[in-house]
Amino acid sequence: MTRPAHLLVDKDGRPTRDAPWIFRTYAGHTNVRASNTLYRDNLSRGQTGLSIAFDLPTQCGYSSDHGLAGPEIGKVGVPVNSLDDFELLFEGIPIETINTSMTINATAMWLLSLYVALAEQRGVSPTALQGTTQNDLVKEYLARGTYIFPPKPSMRLIVDMYEYCLHAIPRWNASNICSYHLQEAGATPTQELAFALANAASLLDAIEARGTFSHDDFERCVGRVSFFTNAGIRFVEEMCKMRAFAELWDEITRDRYRVQTAKYRLFRYGVQVNSLGLTEEQPENNAWRILIEALGVTLSRKARCRALQLPTWNEALSLPRPWDQQWSLRLQQILAYETDLLEYPDLFDGSPVVAAKVEALKEAARAEMKVIAEMGGVLEAVESGYLKSALVRSQAERLARINAGDTLIVGRNRWTEALPSPLLGGDDGGIFRVDAASAAETLEMLRATRSRRSQGEVDAALKALVDGARAGTNLMPLSIACAKARVTTGEWAAALRSVFGEYRPATGVDGQHLALETPRVAAVRARVEAWARAHGQRPRLVVGKPGLDGHSNGSEMIAVAARHAGFDVVYGGIRMTPAEIVQSAVEEDASVLGLSVLSGSHLEVAKLVLDELAAQGARDAIPVVLGGIVPEGDMPALRELGIRAIFTPRDFDLMDVMDRILDVIGAPHDAPEPRVASA
Amino acid sequence: MPAALDEPTRALLARAAALEKHPLARLISVVERDHPGARVRRAALFRHLAAHAETYPRRGRVIGVTGTPGAGKSSLIGRVALEVLATDPTASVAVLAIDPTSPTSGGALLGDRVRTSFPVGERRIYFRSQATQGDLGGVGRRTFAVSRLLRHLFDFVFVETVGIGQSEIEISALADRTLLVLQPLGGDHVQFLKAGVMEVPDAFVINKCDEAALARRSAHELRTALECARIGADGAPLPVFLTSAVSGAGVPELTDWLRRETPHQTRDGQRRQERHFLRRAIAERYGAFGVAILDEMTAAASPDGAAALYEDVEAAALDAIAARVR
Repeated sequence: MTRPAHLLVDKDGRPTRDAPWIFRTYAGHTNVRASNTLYRDNLSRGQTGLSIAFDLPTQCGYSSDHGLAGPEIGKVGVPVNSLDDFELLFEGIPIETINTSMTINATAMWLLSLYVALAEQRGVSPTALQGTTQNDLVKEYLARGTYIFPPKPSMRLIVDMYEYCLHAIPRWNASNICSYHLQEAGATPTQELAFALANAASLLDAIEARGTFSHDDFERCVGRVSFFTNAGIRFVEEMCKMRAFAELWDEITRDRYRVQTAKYRLFRYGVQVNSLGLTEEQPENNAWRILIEALGVTLSRKARCRALQLPTWNEALSLPRPWDQQWSLRLQQILAYETDLLEYPDLFDGSPVVAAKVEALKEAARAEMKVIAEMGGVLEAVESGYLKSALVRSQAERLARINAGDTLIVGRNRWTEALPSPLLGGDDGGIFRVDAASAAETLEMLRATRSRRSQGEVDAALKALVDGARAGTNLMPLSIACAKARVTTGEWAAALRSVFGEYRPATGVDGQHLALETPRVAAVRARVEAWARAHGQRPRLVVGKPGLDGHSNGSEMIAVAARHAGFDVVYGGIRMTPAEIVQSAVEEDASVLGLSVLSGSHLEVAKLVLDELAAQGARDAIPVVLGGIVPEGDMPALRELGIRAIFTPRDFDLMDVMDRILDVIGAPHDAPEPRVASA
Repeated sequence: MPAALDEPTRALLARAAALEKHPLARLISVVERDHPGARVRRAALFRHLAAHAETYPRRGRVIGVTGTPGAGKSSLIGRVALEVLATDPTASVAVLAIDPTSPTSGGALLGDRVRTSFPVGERRIYFRSQATQGDLGGVGRRTFAVSRLLRHLFDFVFVETVGIGQSEIEISALADRTLLVLQPLGGDHVQFLKAGVMEVPDAFVINKCDEAALARRSAHELRTALECARIGADGAPLPVFLTSAVSGAGVPELTDWLRRETPHQTRDGQRRQERHFLRRAIAERYGAFGVAILDEMTAAASPDGAAALYEDVEAAALDAIAARVR
């Protein structure tokens, strides 16, 4: 007798329902004590896995007392300096049973070493540990910016971790291939598929090239490769994208890497749904967007995520509060436990529409992967700037469609009139703020660690690490030894920097052009020309990306748009200190300095930059404007400091931004169309 | 009577000569600027510099750096500049990096700063970006003028061109020594030979030599290519340096060579250079007609007219052309 197609049955033929995916919330802030409280609260509310956000100094390999760290301690995640911090961060949390995901990349080996050292200290066998270190440097070079080392040594660290985890921590995903950040940076579904799979292939190539894995071990390594994807508001296409991912991954691992065991060819992925499409306008609408995006990665059983983390409704405004995170967690619980979603086999098998859409996506992705392969693989395509430029172009086109009204966004370019949101009331104005004094506790802990530990042990462990880095030995055991000796994050990274050097990737501004030729552009250009005629030179805009926040796409878009408008634009790349940015602006005789800050440190950064400009005697000569995620409440303080214009995600029309910058430098309005270009 | 240097510019110059960054930046803008009155002010500035040679000697040597985009010119200049500072505590270095102007918008993206990282607050090193403003030749419309000024203020002036493929003759007209930077096994050696660019440089640099074997092979290929093309046939073969801007390998050797082998510009060399750039500026604006008048004019000038200030010759030439047009 054939079973009705709608029944989901277990291996004994009895009706069953699927276990839900892992519920996570990307969380961490202030210091280890506050984050520990947050994790325990979240777990008690029904969260089933941890997703740890680290602050930027930890991600970039600096201890909290480093010069670049100051304004960033505890801002976008938890600061971790040594094993002492990990003890407190995981206090009362059973690491032998909890699944822990760490969003950590350049310093992934270090954080995993701390986790292993913590387990051993607690008497937990590392073989019991389960979770993921994100550890995808390609997307750091392309989109996220918290890289440290050049591509080759970065890849070596990743392969070291696969090699070590295979037997010592068999349930750990040493790395995640991330397409999440590519979509945030503007990738189309095709680009997301192609870039991520090319990236995964480069990882498998590197694992194969090491030559120390038996084919069985290699297959098991393939089985540990997991993905971290994004899901946008076009949820039907996104669902099809996930099916295309699964089919292509099966195809690549079987045909190209000869993986015989079917379960090692499974496309396993976690997901954070799209934050890019969340609006600052009428932010309550984001709750619906998040729900719809969650459907894209849960509806199809064949392409259902293994773990899901949702942003919060107010993410375009600020970092979330505990209540905001709870609201997002409740959404997952309702979807998994109240609805009948988990009671059925795949709903879309046999749908000709879905099959055709998946096929189309696969075709386009294969073509794009071929282009990358012909360039010599994903690392070459990163170094040449090809991938970055492709992303910036897609992002520019996306924004152009929004500007033109071709892409409709409720509350942003349609139905913009709305009642004020009661959710934004309350004492905190609906936003979260890290207590600036909390960094003191972190710094005090770091000082105590340094004074308690044996310097001899620290020196020996670091020397062994450096020697191992030079000799090419696996650095995991040496890093675990460092962790136990109470080496700090900054010391571990500095030791490896001394061997591997630091990387400066191609920026997204190289070879970019905006395909935007409208009367608005012509009018802005006329203002620029008028200014240029009056001053005998073009306005010079210096774009600065201060601190450790590596989200460079916004500043790169502005740089490209300003050139398009006729500015001479000096772009200095990311991770600059305020003093370096001011030096650029001063040396280049900037007409205006634009800062981009997305980490929430805008007040601190603005003050440092303006003070430094004053110290250089250029405070009056060079006006400063600032863009970023700036809450309304911070604007008066920024203006008070002397910031001349403030741009937020609300200012999506690039030519409006240019117009306001021209106002700041005193360009005339209603400039006549020039007959010839100014000399 | 030519106008004397105005007091604000004079004060700016004094502070720029002490390598104060903001006054220096604004003084460069004075030279770069192009609007009515700018030429007069520029002429007054250079006349002042010539008249106060003991205070502002033309001590600087200009090094042109050209090569394909992606060969790592900026990073290499960064390393060499830091090496100059580290090995000579009195030396000062300016870097002038040129990027192309967009023909549609007139704007430019000046991105070379991304690839250098200089110490903050160090007066002995100065970085400035410049747009070509539509000029061909890998250097900008105002590059010559700015390099002229920087010769008075710095010991070394590195000029990084847009890249290769256009007439790179301009950079060798501007610089006392020109480096051509290549990537290992870029496969571009033959292209260069075809393009005639190989005749430009005084030395070759194969950058990004992070792997010894690859570097050796590239150097061998290049030397073979050079022999085939009989470059440097008149004497010693041109030097080839193998460098890595990442590890710093080969940078001390290259720096040392530049210090030893870059000549100070002679009076004659200076005149030739000024003639070249004046001719080019005239050609750009008035074509063959203007150049013919300029040549007539300079042929008629007395031999000691060669001592005249560039700006005066330029003004005279423009007057002569204007007179003919009427």
